[in-house]
Amino acid sequence: MKINVVESVLKANDAVARENRRRLDAAGVVAVNLMSAPGSGKTLLLEKTIPALAAARCAVLVGDLQTTRDAERLAGIAAQVTQINTGTGCHLTATQVGEGLDSLDLRSIDFLFIENVGNMVCPAAFDLGEHRRAVLLSVPEGDDKVAKYPTLFQPADVILLTKVDLLGVLDYQRSKVYQDLSRINTRAPRIEVSSTTGQGLDRWFAWLKDQRRAQVSDS
Amino acid sequence: MHEMSIATALLEQLRRIAAEQQAARIVEVEVHCGVMQQVVPESLQLAFEAASTDTLAAGARLKIVETGLAARCRSCGEQFEAAIDNYLCPRCRTADVEIVAGRDIVLRSVVCEV
Repeated sequence: MKINVVESVLKANDAVARENRRRLDAAGVVAVNLMSAPGSGKTLLLEKTIPALAAARCAVLVGDLQTTRDAERLAGIAAQVTQINTGTGCHLTATQVGEGLDSLDLRSIDFLFIENVGNMVCPAAFDLGEHRRAVLLSVPEGDDKVAKYPTLFQPADVILLTKVDLLGVLDYQRSKVYQDLSRINTRAPRIEVSSTTGQGLDRWFAWLKDQRRAQVSDS
Repeated sequence: MHEMSIATALLEQLRRIAAEQQAARIVEVEVHCGVMQQVVPESLQLAFEAASTDTLAAGARLKIVETGLAARCRSCGEQFEAAIDNYLCPRCRTADVEIVAGRDIVLRSVVCEV
């Protein structure tokens, strides 16, 4: 017997993602999903960002396969930090984020940062219930990554070129990155930052504050 | 390897359908994977095989069809066929699109024995 079905396989994840978004909206929290390769500087960026935004109003959900190292780094910085260990999972799911939300007091925060598992393929496929997607690309990764991983960059709401203090040290052509982005995503603002020198961070903070303002005026 | 998450979600759907149909066994499953999901068919086959052991879908044939991309330009509204590495609107030359097709993974049919 053949049964014809037209049903999304990711339906269950998407339903949980919608519920996560509803909970965040109800609490007036703007959630930013940070995605990138491992080692592109997500945690250091958060270490610099959270104090600038008012640490008491920020929470972080940190996804990693193993260890609580990132959560330990952020514990003294953000008001609330929860580590999610995915074991062998190469990305966060909406259910894991939903469980993470259970551990947070959403009423007392304005910003939730979801630091996804470092991976340029799998996280892009899963809606977590975030409001914005921030994609990081660090200079040492090379100037060819936008073309190699287009599905990560296409849905990005902001693109951060990180570790720009290394531009003079490495053989790296920024123009290649921007040329590739011109075919993949011309909507997302591109912000060049260095968490080490502080270069460009003000623009990133301003972008975040704009997202929060938009969130509050929408609800 | 998000294929394991996909296989697990698929098996949950199959378990529910089999219960609704009072099926004894699932013999064939057809899934359409949008190209943006970057599913590696061999990986999904392996994950499905592993995750379906001891379920009604054990040994079922999994047919995977890759489906293409359709995009709608947010600037001018043009709908066009995009490529995974090119979302440039042919009309206004911006790359600011809403993905209309090619992002989803859809279960299309199930063949079962009652």
